[in-house]
Amino acid sequence: MFTLCSSQNRSLFPSIRKSSYRAPTFERGGRGLDIRFSGASVTYGERAVLQPLTLSLIERRIGIIGLNGSGKTTFARLINGLVKPTTGQVTVNGLDTVQDASATLAAAGFIFQNPQHQIIMPIVHEDIAFGLKNRGMKADEIERRTAAVLERFGIAHLARRRVHELSGGETQLVAIASVLVTGPGILILDEPTNQLDLKNRLLVERTIAGLDEHTIVISHDLPLIEQFDRVLLFHEGRLVADGPVSESIRTYHEVAGC
Amino acid sequence: MLNGLNVEGTTPLHRMSVRAKLAILLVCGLALYAVSSLFILIPAFVITALIYFTTGLAFHEAISRLKPILFTILILLIATAYLTSMREAAESFFRLMAIVLFAGAVTATTATSAFIDEITRLLQPLDRLGLVRAADVGLAFGLVLRFVPDIFNRYQSIREGHRARGLKVRPLTILAPLIILTLKDADTIAMAIDARGFRRPREKHR
Repeated sequence: MFTLCSSQNRSLFPSIRKSSYRAPTFERGGRGLDIRFSGASVTYGERAVLQPLTLSLIERRIGIIGLNGSGKTTFARLINGLVKPTTGQVTVNGLDTVQDASATLAAAGFIFQNPQHQIIMPIVHEDIAFGLKNRGMKADEIERRTAAVLERFGIAHLARRRVHELSGGETQLVAIASVLVTGPGILILDEPTNQLDLKNRLLVERTIAGLDEHTIVISHDLPLIEQFDRVLLFHEGRLVADGPVSESIRTYHEVAGC
Repeated sequence: MLNGLNVEGTTPLHRMSVRAKLAILLVCGLALYAVSSLFILIPAFVITALIYFTTGLAFHEAISRLKPILFTILILLIATAYLTSMREAAESFFRLMAIVLFAGAVTATTATSAFIDEITRLLQPLDRLGLVRAADVGLAFGLVLRFVPDIFNRYQSIREGHRARGLKVRPLTILAPLIILTLKDADTIAMAIDARGFRRPREKHR
């Protein structure tokens, strides 16, 4: 019997320090994606959260899976510079996430596990507009873009609603809209269907499937990533599988011992 | 509970600029502390009540927003009556209520984003002197208004959790988890603010 998350697993799943997997890619009108990890690692004190990793990501839809505490979120947060690498370097379309922190944040939007945490203003319309106002945009342009993004996600009817009164699915859509209104080419979503009921989960899944932006999704919801181009599997801070969905999910089942 | 949320409307107070509303609130507040005549304080209370209840807030919402502060004012009323006189207690009550009602009316008729803009503008001179970051103060103000309902909801959840476990609800046993959870969320919220580019991080050079 496979021992769950034990040190014995390490020999079964040697870390893929330099991943060379390339999924068949296709462009859908968006900008190209070129994320590069060059020996990037993250250590908190004595604890290595993410082992040194070298890989590049160019696919349009990338899934990240793994057990809790496996380093998925740290990996994703390295991409938009929310977490700085302890060693090595991460670049996003040529931007260094440390030296070009602001530009990286603008290029890669991030949706947190609990979207309530990132909605800053009390009213939906105000929150979406706030991101644009903060970038010094003119009032009429803010209004035009806000209306367009509300329309795009089918949430125009929520514009005047209070954020804390929204359902889980609505909150998730508002969070996605408020990030995408500023036009990042990449969207990173951390467990976007977590704690959603079936109806809201399907709504969010459909929305993610329809996004034109490059999407990187951390998820325990395996059907969500079924159609993705590439899936990375993390285990105990190491990348242990990197390839097409079926392969990574098979390894994930082995890692999880089920 | 003051959610800090406005109601849309077309009343004169809705149409007035944020700066004018805040200036009136400040001047009236100071003026009310300069008078001690019930012949002025009672009409002031009546007028501000009329303004507050005609902002467009539903009656039950208007009352529920006042409840927490009303409780504090009543305690003050009793304490003042006991320590000084009924007259002074009445003066304090009508004075405070008039200020609270007008402040509530200003809150109900002003969008949070307008508040933030005005605060940021007012602090620009200090920003130029390098004393504060005006945009950060405005953002902090918005965050308070945004997350007060969340903290209140969490407080209620913890209280219900106590009841579900058959535990006696005590302020200390509620406050400890409430503070810990709130601080934990604060870290994530700070990170989210950076992620959305609201507060530009200073570029680092290695």
